[in-house]
Amino acid sequence: MNMEFSFIVIDDSELDCFLARKVIELTEKGVVTRIFQNAQNALDAIAENPVEKGKQPTIILLDIQMPEFNGFQFVEEFEKFPLEVKENYIIIILSILSSARNQNDIYRLLTHGTVNSIIEKPLTRDKLFSFLQQVKPTI
Amino acid sequence: MKILYVDDEPDNLVGFKASLRLDYQILTAVNIPQAISCLDNHPEIKVVFCDQRMPGKTGVDFFEDIRISHPLPVRILLTAYTDVEAIIEAINRGNIFRYVKKPWTEADVISAIEEANKFYMANSMLSVKNDELQRAYDELNKFAYSVSHDIRGPLSGILGAINLAREIDDVEEMKEMLYLMQKSVKKLDTYVLSMHDYYSLQRGELKITEIDFNEIIDELKAIYDVHSKINKVAFKVNVKQDEIFRNDQAPLRLVLNNLLSNAFKYQEKDSKNKSVDLSVDVHNNVATIYVKDTGIGILGSHVGEIFNLFYRSNSLEVGSGFGLYNVKSALLKLNGQIEVNSVLHKGTTFKVTIPSI
Repeated sequence: MNMEFSFIVIDDSELDCFLARKVIELTEKGVVTRIFQNAQNALDAIAENPVEKGKQPTIILLDIQMPEFNGFQFVEEFEKFPLEVKENYIIIILSILSSARNQNDIYRLLTHGTVNSIIEKPLTRDKLFSFLQQVKPTI
Repeated sequence: MKILYVDDEPDNLVGFKASLRLDYQILTAVNIPQAISCLDNHPEIKVVFCDQRMPGKTGVDFFEDIRISHPLPVRILLTAYTDVEAIIEAINRGNIFRYVKKPWTEADVISAIEEANKFYMANSMLSVKNDELQRAYDELNKFAYSVSHDIRGPLSGILGAINLAREIDDVEEMKEMLYLMQKSVKKLDTYVLSMHDYYSLQRGELKITEIDFNEIIDELKAIYDVHSKINKVAFKVNVKQDEIFRNDQAPLRLVLNNLLSNAFKYQEKDSKNKSVDLSVDVHNNVATIYVKDTGIGILGSHVGEIFNLFYRSNSLEVGSGFGLYNVKSALLKLNGQIEVNSVLHKGTTFKVTIPSI
């Protein structure tokens, strides 16, 4: 069975986008990765062209602290999509976890059905690999 | 210094006013409601004298009320009756500062007023200091938050890149990554420099010197001409100064530098006619500075927030959220004003006015 996913990376930092793309390429050969430096644009793209039912789900690697439209706002808006769209996506929060001030807010995101897990930056092959091991059997 | 004296006997009021009017501004009231409305209308009253025996309410009752509603004025009770119960009540319920015995002597009253004034000043200083502390504490909170994002953010990216470098064999790809790493390092460096600006603006004293705008602008032009060439942004400068202008040079430079750097940074990437216009006009002891760009503009709903610490309205360019906050702090120091006019996708104009000191 083919277990490849496609990926969407949402991060305002160019370097972090580059890293995510490389780490994904090295971990899963030949997958499609789309990069968005602006969360609003990502949301619009998903709304216009959602993943078709029955296809491989898309994994969204989402940064939290972004100007203009942050990760929290993204999840809030994403939750408004109809279930048949939402169930084709898995959101992973990719963030630096240091400030106590919003750490609780970040963990609270896990209560949303679409948010699967939280990975601390920087993303490495090991972290992505163990995440993929964990989600693959469930699909 | 305003003092309120409350007594139901008009003769006493007249006597009090007559002996003290030269040294203080004396307001009087013959009953409690009048006294309250007087306190409402004159919030700068520093000391309140009240007679203990008043119709309806006692002086202690009155003090107990205004302790909550008008906490700032210092309360002094005047009374002819020195029974212990009244004294205890006055202290415990009325929380009075002094107790002056009737018939009073001028020396007693003046000494009570002077002591009350010192007490009042100490209290207000305390509340000013408290506000300052609260503000400093709030900023520290924002700082902690910003440090996690603006310092740890780029650092985690650089760390990730170093990890990844072991697995990259392609030289071109490695070069691209190094380029992005360099951008992150520069961002960190800018952040630290702005933090230094922020700190020196909050602490430093004013150093007033004569300012020659031509000289300052020439230096800035040399720096920004490089940007102008590389990014194909036309840079026009116009300085008109025929009179002496005096103010602090360091914050002035900071203002110009930040506004210019923003004007070059937030340009519409694909636009053909990119330009930045800087004009300075010194006239009647006021310098009026315009920094005008043909950039991406600021969304109307964001304009109100751009001067806030750590506010960033744009995700495309690296910004620390220090810049315009520092501009505002610098202008506060220079006693200047700033106005912003912006149209999305058309451009932004900042108008700064700074007086000569």
